Amino acid sequence: MDTIVYQGLTGLTAAMFLWLVSAGLTIAFGVCGILNIAHGVLYMFGGYFLFTFYQLLGLNFWLSILLTLISVGLIGLVMELGFLRPIYKEPIGIQLVLTFAFVWIFDDLAKLAWGPVSKIVAMPRFFEGFIRIVGRPFPIYSVFIIGTGIAMAVFIWLLLDKTWWGKSIRASALDREMASALGINIRTLFSGAFVFAAAIAALGGALSVPLRVVGPGIGGAIIVQAFVVTVIGGLGNLKGAFVGALIVGVVGAFCTLYIPVFEMFIIYIIMAVVLLIRPQGIFGEIR
Amino acid sequence: MSKLKRLLVPKRIPFVFWVTLIIFLFVIPQFSGKYTIYMVMSILIFSLLCLSVNLLLGYTGLLSFGQAGFYACGAYGCGKILLIFPQLLPGIIGGVVIAGVVALILGYFCVRHTTIYFAMITLAFGMMVWALAMKLREITGGEDGLGGIPRAILFIHSLNMEPMENYYYFVLIISLIAMFLFHRLVNSPLGLTFKGIRDSESRIACTGISIRNTRLLCFTIAGMYAGLAGALMAPLETRVTPVCAHWAASAEPVAATIIGGMYTFAGPLAGAAIFFLLKDIIVRFTEYWLLILGVIVIILVLTLRAQGLAGVLQQSLFSRLRLNFEGSRNERSDIKH
Amino acid sequence: MRKRKITGLVIGLAVVLLIMIIVSFVPVTAAPPLKQLPLKKEVIKIGGQGIFSGPNAICGRSMMEGARLAIEEINAKGGILGSKIEFKYMDCELKPAVGIKNARYLVGEWGADFLIGHDSSGVLMAVGGVMPELKKILIGTHAATANYNERLVYREKNKYCFRTASPTYQDATIFAKVFAKKFPEVKRWASINCDYEFGYVNLALFKRAMKELIPDVEFVAETWAPFWTMDFTPQISAVMAAKPQGIYTSPWGGEGVQLARQALIMGVFEDPNVKLYINCTGETSDFLMGMSNEIAKDKFHGKLWVTGRYVLTQNDLPINKHFVKTYAEKYAMYPFHCTEGAYSAIYLIKKVLEKSRTLDVEAVIKAMEGMKWDTPSGEKWIRPEDHQAVYPVPIGRPVMDPDYPLMPVVKDLHWVPVKEYYRWPPFEPSIDEIVKAELKR
Repeated sequence: MDTIVYQGLTGLTAAMFLWLVSAGLTIAFGVCGILNIAHGVLYMFGGYFLFTFYQLLGLNFWLSILLTLISVGLIGLVMELGFLRPIYKEPIGIQLVLTFAFVWIFDDLAKLAWGPVSKIVAMPRFFEGFIRIVGRPFPIYSVFIIGTGIAMAVFIWLLLDKTWWGKSIRASALDREMASALGINIRTLFSGAFVFAAAIAALGGALSVPLRVVGPGIGGAIIVQAFVVTVIGGLGNLKGAFVGALIVGVVGAFCTLYIPVFEMFIIYIIMAVVLLIRPQGIFGEIR
Repeated sequence: MSKLKRLLVPKRIPFVFWVTLIIFLFVIPQFSGKYTIYMVMSILIFSLLCLSVNLLLGYTGLLSFGQAGFYACGAYGCGKILLIFPQLLPGIIGGVVIAGVVALILGYFCVRHTTIYFAMITLAFGMMVWALAMKLREITGGEDGLGGIPRAILFIHSLNMEPMENYYYFVLIISLIAMFLFHRLVNSPLGLTFKGIRDSESRIACTGISIRNTRLLCFTIAGMYAGLAGALMAPLETRVTPVCAHWAASAEPVAATIIGGMYTFAGPLAGAAIFFLLKDIIVRFTEYWLLILGVIVIILVLTLRAQGLAGVLQQSLFSRLRLNFEGSRNERSDIKH
Repeated sequence: MRKRKITGLVIGLAVVLLIMIIVSFVPVTAAPPLKQLPLKKEVIKIGGQGIFSGPNAICGRSMMEGARLAIEEINAKGGILGSKIEFKYMDCELKPAVGIKNARYLVGEWGADFLIGHDSSGVLMAVGGVMPELKKILIGTHAATANYNERLVYREKNKYCFRTASPTYQDATIFAKVFAKKFPEVKRWASINCDYEFGYVNLALFKRAMKELIPDVEFVAETWAPFWTMDFTPQISAVMAAKPQGIYTSPWGGEGVQLARQALIMGVFEDPNVKLYINCTGETSDFLMGMSNEIAKDKFHGKLWVTGRYVLTQNDLPINKHFVKTYAEKYAMYPFHCTEGAYSAIYLIKKVLEKSRTLDVEAVIKAMEGMKWDTPSGEKWIRPEDHQAVYPVPIGRPVMDPDYPLMPVVKDLHWVPVKEYYRWPPFEPSIDEIVKAELKR
């Protein structure tokens, strides 16, 4: 029993990173209608900028995170204005190829800027140590991650449900023309939504670095999992993204423990099963 | 220019052009080095993979980001057969059949979805093949892959495929046959059905044709072409590893097809050659080849858009002006090769 | 108008591409052989391949740096018998197909006389397999699979393959030999291993050696992690659930760093039950630098043991001191076994060519077999039966040492005579049989 609980919590931690990236992907897709493979790149930059601010420049941890969110938000803005806006109207094939080319370019730019060697960040002093869960040491940092993930979920839900901006976003996602007819500036809204999505992904990347490493190519690895999560949860649905991330993270952790052979492709099997039973994803709507 | 749509309809590429190209391909080994032969073979194999992508994308409107999965099925299938029974043709045919069967099974899940979901699902299924290849060590050799695949004989011992030149002719002949069959397919009534599904599903449904079954048929045939490419690769490299099923490997033929032009027959072929040569040349000069290749791909795709290089060249070199007042979607059906 | 501009751009691009294609099709012509030079060539070309991207990018880079260092030194002193050396490196992208393609290009088009490098065992085996077709010598400088020397060279008689870096014997058996004597009370072992050949072979060899020395040893948990694993917490958690006393790990480079950090975070080293943690290739610079803070603060409580294919503190030879000093001055860090493997490969080529006095491949192979030469690791000997360099390397614990200010180094060295932990011909039972017997994979 203890092992199950402990392993489940381990999986939950991994799920939170997935959730943050998937949330950003879902918002970008739901609002702007663009399937952005390069979203994983923003996760990677989140990690790199935290490394720069916190490790290289030695700033305060929380300040570094704030600066990271701002920096990657800016990169997201540039990405949206410069690269994505011209291709909104293109057929999906071209969108995917272009965003894929962005991944190549940004991976190499990261290699140029920070060097090819993977970077690590020391764990902040106040997060060192662990608490005892079911008699085994569970890192405090992981508790922090789980807490942040859930807090972000609540925050995003509040934002989209209660605020005017959130309602505009949902309106634009549902019916762009009507929202624009009501006087909502679609272009600014798109940029704003995308910057927000970029910041969320960057948060995921920044928080992952004390636990993992950051290097060119980590964006590509996480985006595939984020895709599977959004398909399972339902494209364009945030609740689905959260649940999907939970499923993928926790089931993956259990597999490592009990059926290691399945560990790599269990998420695809889950995806296939979900698609068989409910083709639009667990919470998705048939559009 | 709002209502008036000037459409430059490209004429057929002259038969002479194809004949010259084929003669050139047959003659290349006589005057060029081993590496060039190897390169041309790799381009031919890559072209088959691009044709596979385009059958789905350009002709039926379905973007598949997982064709590398079927490529891997063909490669592993051929490899396993050759390791047990070193006869080339059974290996190749076996690989194609295996890829086709897998495509049929996976296709059942995929074809119920449209564009975006279809792309994501095929990507994930391609990765599933990759994960299976990595984990099922007893069958696939795991991460290290299947090694020591012989470049087996063709029926009799005197037709030894070991020397690069002999295998080159084999690959060339098989590829030409496959491309010819592809051409016949897309210009057949079935090909018209595919194009119809791409342009207007509702109209096709009115004719009583089952859209899902047609899509599934298209998916299976595309899977077989990808499998053929993989099966031809296995004896060439004598080793198959899971990385050939990764989604990054699926994205390359998609990029190449779009660069070459997804609405023409020659598009994927031209795109395959250009993409492969670009990558091969850039890699020799810098370790930052991803950056340069990415930039070039973006420039090419943004300037050429949906037409691709072949489309643009055909329009400018072999075209006649024709004014057309109808909507743009119908006109795409007119674009032959 | 726009159509014309696009057409113009496209035709321009097509012309540029056509020129590039024509240029690339022209085979590189070799320099005309000069009668005065004994090797009859003005420039000896050496091609190297390694990993230049991803978490282990440092390996390819170090290979290049080590090779370049040696080549600069040799060229400055007049080259090899008057012929200068030229070096070119390519990224194998961890893909065997790319490795083979690059090898064909380097030998066929660029005119390489020797190929060196390789960090991935899979790529090394693949490229080694085509060397008989290319008829040039490949010298492995890092990738450690024992199948390279035992199967390719010894059993399949592929004489074109050599290796200057120690094989997987270095990662496994030597630890068993040391710990059976020094820590005989550690009997419960668990493992976190690479889910590819490297990991299978080390664990199998380690298990077999431990079982021979400590009959009641138990292996309570075996977990596996494929390449590109970033998050080892599920594996660590599964291992700790089994309450081990010793943990054997093989993920290397950047992955080794992550694994160690995550293990620290999850309290593995604070657990009084856990006495030993092995990172079998922890002597790499990225691992030591990555862990320098933790090592300085003694977070590992002396439980972390490492080795490598070269440990810079293993001897005081002038060639080693010079190697470390020159490299440190240039790159502000210390060299490790990827660097040393390439450095010694270049010097091996030099000594062999000076002996054979010809580039004829058969003669060079004969000269290389049995060759002894001086390297920063000490004297290495190419065993003629399997073309494998044989030389001892100790295991030890990483610490901060005031003599080596740039980063932690390995000290508290324990040696085992090379005869006791290397495998020797006829290599019975075969590695694959041992893997099958010891692991359920």
